[in-house]
Amino acid sequence: MEIYLYQGLIGLTYSMYLWLLAAGLSIAFGVLGILNFSHGALFMLGAYLAFTFYGVLGLNFWLAVLLSALSVAVLGAVLERFFLRQIYNLDLPFQLLLTFGFVLVFDDLVKMAWGGMFMIPPMPPFLSGSVPIFGRPFPMYNLFILFVGVAVAVGIWLLFDKTWWGRKVRAAAWNREMGGMLGLNVPGLYMVVFMLAAGLAALGGALSIPMRPVTPGLGTAMIIQAFIVAVIGGLGNLRGAFVGAIVVGMLTVYSTMLFPLFELFLPYVVMAAVLLLRPQGLLGGR
Amino acid sequence: MRTTRRKLLAGAGAIGATAYLSKYGIRGAKAQEPVRIGGQGALSGAHADYGRQIQMGATLAIEEINEQGGILGRPVELNFLDEELRPDVATRNARVQVDDWGADFLVGVDSSGSALAMGPVLAELDRICVFTHAGTHRLTEELVAGQGIQQIFRASAPVYQESILAAHLFAQREDITRWANIGADYEYGHANWALFKQTLQQLRPDVEFVAEAWAPFHTIDFSGHVSSVLAANPHAVYSTPWGGEAVSLLRSALVMGAFNQLEAWWQAMGASVDVLEGISGQIDQFNGKLWATGRYIFNWSEEETRDLNAAFNAAFQERWGRFPNYSAECTYSAVYSLKQAAEAAGSTDTAEVIEAMEGMSVKTPAGVRNYRAEDHQAVYTVPAGRVAKLDDYPMPVVGEDLFIEDPKEYYRWPPFEALEY
Repeated sequence: MEIYLYQGLIGLTYSMYLWLLAAGLSIAFGVLGILNFSHGALFMLGAYLAFTFYGVLGLNFWLAVLLSALSVAVLGAVLERFFLRQIYNLDLPFQLLLTFGFVLVFDDLVKMAWGGMFMIPPMPPFLSGSVPIFGRPFPMYNLFILFVGVAVAVGIWLLFDKTWWGRKVRAAAWNREMGGMLGLNVPGLYMVVFMLAAGLAALGGALSIPMRPVTPGLGTAMIIQAFIVAVIGGLGNLRGAFVGAIVVGMLTVYSTMLFPLFELFLPYVVMAAVLLLRPQGLLGGR
Repeated sequence: MRTTRRKLLAGAGAIGATAYLSKYGIRGAKAQEPVRIGGQGALSGAHADYGRQIQMGATLAIEEINEQGGILGRPVELNFLDEELRPDVATRNARVQVDDWGADFLVGVDSSGSALAMGPVLAELDRICVFTHAGTHRLTEELVAGQGIQQIFRASAPVYQESILAAHLFAQREDITRWANIGADYEYGHANWALFKQTLQQLRPDVEFVAEAWAPFHTIDFSGHVSSVLAANPHAVYSTPWGGEAVSLLRSALVMGAFNQLEAWWQAMGASVDVLEGISGQIDQFNGKLWATGRYIFNWSEEETRDLNAAFNAAFQERWGRFPNYSAECTYSAVYSLKQAAEAAGSTDTAEVIEAMEGMSVKTPAGVRNYRAEDHQAVYTVPAGRVAKLDDYPMPVVGEDLFIEDPKEYYRWPPFEALEY
């Protein structure tokens, strides 16, 4: 029994990774109506910047993570102001083309700046230990990711549901024109929301560097997983993204253990089943 | 001025003639037509260092050869493309290099899947490709010895190196009777595990294989794989992910206490320079339980080629500022093999070079390579051993308890029996 509980806890960590990524994706879609293909590229940029701040410049790990999230948030502001803002009224394919263009641009920029070789910094000492859980050593790093995932979930919930600012964002998302007529600064709100989404992507990337090598194209592998999560949970629905992340994380680790040859396949089957039986996603229907 | 039809035609004729002359006449008079070598490897992602090393090895060999007067007195040129570990991209690259660029020979290729897909294309294009990394035994056993695709050669050791040699090494360990596998979930990893199991089972009927977890390319997180095989209480883990993914996997294994729980961890291609660099900071935490091999290790060569290896190491480090990985050495040696074969044949014609290369013996940094006539596989020795930090190198190397076997012992030999997996 304990080995299954332990595996579940490992799965939850993976879920929290996916959640950090899918959260930003859902915010951008839910509020701005943008299906942001470049979200994975922002994750990758977060990882590269954190690597540079922490692994190259030798800054404190926390500071490196924070700086990386802030830098990518600022980049998000630029992307929103000069590019996305031009296409809110256009059809979805234009958004996909534009944001996929960003993916190619960022992948190549990263190759030019950092080279094609993967990089991995030393593990921060306070994250390299383990604590016994269910009779086996459980990595501190995984515990830490669990904690951050839950903290971000609570933070976002408070921000959108309990603050005045969150109420304005929801109003603007509900009806852009009406919000504007009532005196909301809708473009300003949108920019800040996209900064938040970009910053979350970068946070996920930055937090991944102690365990995962930073490489160009890193975002592509991630974005596919994030889309599966978002589709299962309900595209644009934050609670749905959280639930979807847990579903995909658990499916992945338990199938790794119990049906090793179907590990790849199961999350896709579940996604297909959700699309067929409940196309709006488990918690969808906004 | 009125442009008449006649003037137009005359003009077009003149342009055509100039173009013709510059292609075959004028330039041909100035310099000999170059020997063109098309290379490819993974240049992006967690496995990018292998393609980069293939490119570095090929470039260094070609620069040296051009300084010595080229191949058959002709200068050598390199065109290099990213195969992205994708069979469709690899076959397209081969076509572009041969049809559009005019490649005489092809070298490289990291992925086993890509290599298998290229086989039939090489027969159609009638160009030799010397593979320098892709490891599946099926490339040479099935496509060359079985189907007779003569254009395939392989300079690098195939999966025999990390699977059969490992089985011989660990058959001696009485304390290890429970094995688990964390496999690369594609041709390479499955072939590896099947060969290892088959060989070890024959030598040690008491050994059990207790768990398997499979990780595809672009696996994001290995902790689920590590925890699921550790839950089966194995004595040792057999692991085949490579490149950055091997580093990521080993980090997960470390923080989950694998190197306290286990007696040994076999990281098949752990002697790869990028992996050794990636685990350099944690080497003490492996408790001396990490074992590996490579298709070449820069710190070892057989007696006869020791000086050649030292010279290659020095030249490589001077040119690139890094230690040569096996994909670099294998490609470097592949280019020299092609030179030796073309010069023995007196031509770059595919059929003549194939004939010269079959059974040919070449002195290379790794050792003396013999290209078996039956399946075009280069036969040479690479040791396995314990990964350790030695004073002579800035990173850990496969340097302790070296296990050196004659390839007669651990290569499969024709006639080949198909392997079920």
